Amino acid sequence: VTPAHFLESRRAVWNRLESLLSRAARSGLRSLSEAELHELTRLYPAVAVDVARARMYQVDPVTQQRINQLAIAAHGLLYRRPSTRRLAAIWRFFRREYPRLFRRMWPYVTVAVAIFMIGALGTYVATRLVPSYAYIFVPHGLDVTPGDVTSEDISERFRQVPHPPMATGIMANNISVAVNSFALGITAGIGTCYLLLLNAMMLGGFAAHFVNHGLGYPLVAFIAPHGTLEIFAILVSSAAGLRLGYSLAVPGGMKRSASLRLGARDAVLLVLGTVPMFIIAGFIEGFVTPSYMPGIIKILLGVTVAGMVIAYLLVTGRDAGEGASARRHAVTDAASP
Amino acid sequence: MPIEELDIIETPENVDLQRRLAGIGSRFLAGLLDSLLMIAMLMVLVIVVLAFDLHLFLVGDRMAEGAEVWLIAVLVVIGFLIYWGYFLFFELWMNGQTPGKRYMRIRVVQQEGRAVSFDSIAVRNLLRAVDGLGGYAVAGIVMFATRKMQRLGDLAAGTVVISEEIPDYSARQDTKQQVLDDMPATAAVLQETRLTPQEYRLLHSYWLRREQLTLEARCQLLPKLLWPVLERVGTRPADNSLAALETCLDELLTQAGSVRPSAAHTEPREESP
Repeated sequence: VTPAHFLESRRAVWNRLESLLSRAARSGLRSLSEAELHELTRLYPAVAVDVARARMYQVDPVTQQRINQLAIAAHGLLYRRPSTRRLAAIWRFFRREYPRLFRRMWPYVTVAVAIFMIGALGTYVATRLVPSYAYIFVPHGLDVTPGDVTSEDISERFRQVPHPPMATGIMANNISVAVNSFALGITAGIGTCYLLLLNAMMLGGFAAHFVNHGLGYPLVAFIAPHGTLEIFAILVSSAAGLRLGYSLAVPGGMKRSASLRLGARDAVLLVLGTVPMFIIAGFIEGFVTPSYMPGIIKILLGVTVAGMVIAYLLVTGRDAGEGASARRHAVTDAASP
Repeated sequence: MPIEELDIIETPENVDLQRRLAGIGSRFLAGLLDSLLMIAMLMVLVIVVLAFDLHLFLVGDRMAEGAEVWLIAVLVVIGFLIYWGYFLFFELWMNGQTPGKRYMRIRVVQQEGRAVSFDSIAVRNLLRAVDGLGGYAVAGIVMFATRKMQRLGDLAAGTVVISEEIPDYSARQDTKQQVLDDMPATAAVLQETRLTPQEYRLLHSYWLRREQLTLEARCQLLPKLLWPVLERVGTRPADNSLAALETCLDELLTQAGSVRPSAAHTEPREESP
């Protein structure tokens, strides 16, 4: 077989594959009939072999490249992840994988909590001592100095806004903040720390300002229903950013790129798991926070909801036993011949 | 520095395929198309609200007035899902492609050549929050700096974007490429140009590929290929510049091509369009 003969005999096959591929690229794989799909699966391995043969016959590089690209394009169409039942996968994720991941990520969560506490308490104390510091954090529209503000007024401002759009708007905004906390981790965690510290200081300054004016309780009654869960979820997404940043900054024994990929996988799942928390918090903020319920009920509700989420993260998914079963497997593996 | 943006994967068929990385240009265009599509989808939401308001204004429906806040609430959710979910959804559903990527014939795959996984899709698209800063300036700078033209999201996800573009023969304009054939040169040609068959094939393949090579690669390669030949044949280029060398090469190959004026017809490469 000469190169010329090879080219001559295979040309029809390549042209056929090309026409199938360009149709799939134009109008989707669904535009191919069943017979054509079968044909595609037969043509691909044959053309992949042609790539090797073209190399052997040393046919001209442009033709080699064409056959190669035909094989690559067919490869891209034919090879994909085995399809899973998505709903079942999501259920499994929240039932087992997410709580386990959260527990595995405890050092990062701890650091996030510590940074938040330092920022919030530091600003709180400073603003209690020097009240004018508050004006770094409090926007004009929300100032309470005029003195005629009653405890009801804080919630009253919220009641003016229609509830449903506020609930979904707050959800959207908070989830965006969480995604940013995660993504900024790529700056070796510096961006995440900055964002977390900024929010912590704002909250600390705010709280001190209200306490300075004797409005501590109404503020707690206002923030606690939704804020407990919301702040917790922000801390978790900051932990995700820290995980990403740490994997980049401190690869340990691994190649930096491999470490980053591992860290990014943990981090993105950690942040995706906060989405339901923000949805719950958004509904509470939209409907419970502006309601006329007594403050103490609202506070209890917020603490209960956040407590339930934390309990879920600490307790569930242990049934197969995280540590114990892993050790048991190791023992049986070692014992078996 | 690699001469071409290539990457080898071994397929289950035990054949090494060469993946060509998608260029910054085609990735940018794909992104632009996707953004336009996204904006069009968001515009539909705005139009729905405007149509609803127009209805209220014209009919003054009391029931509908209470419904509007709910409508806006739902549209906020849909808008949010479009904004953050567009790339996630399409790359998941279309196996590493989006409408824009499919149009540009590029695809996201794992570095190892496997189909892209859900985790990787999530990582690379949520990191758009940083890559997209300054109108994707961050992504652009990082892509220039990395060997496989990866933006931050690709680095963290372990993905590359490859080209599935199939070179189009019918679009080849260069007449020399049509005249010159890829088969080994005949004895007559070789006598005329005093090239050996190997030399002819080597120089010819350089000629065919020169436009796909970077300028640096051409400056590196051509002197190595051409000088030994020129020395033996006894031709001297005007100077050592790339342009002068390519003119020499051009003359050599034209000489070869002119000996076989019928070459283009003996081996038709492609059916006429």
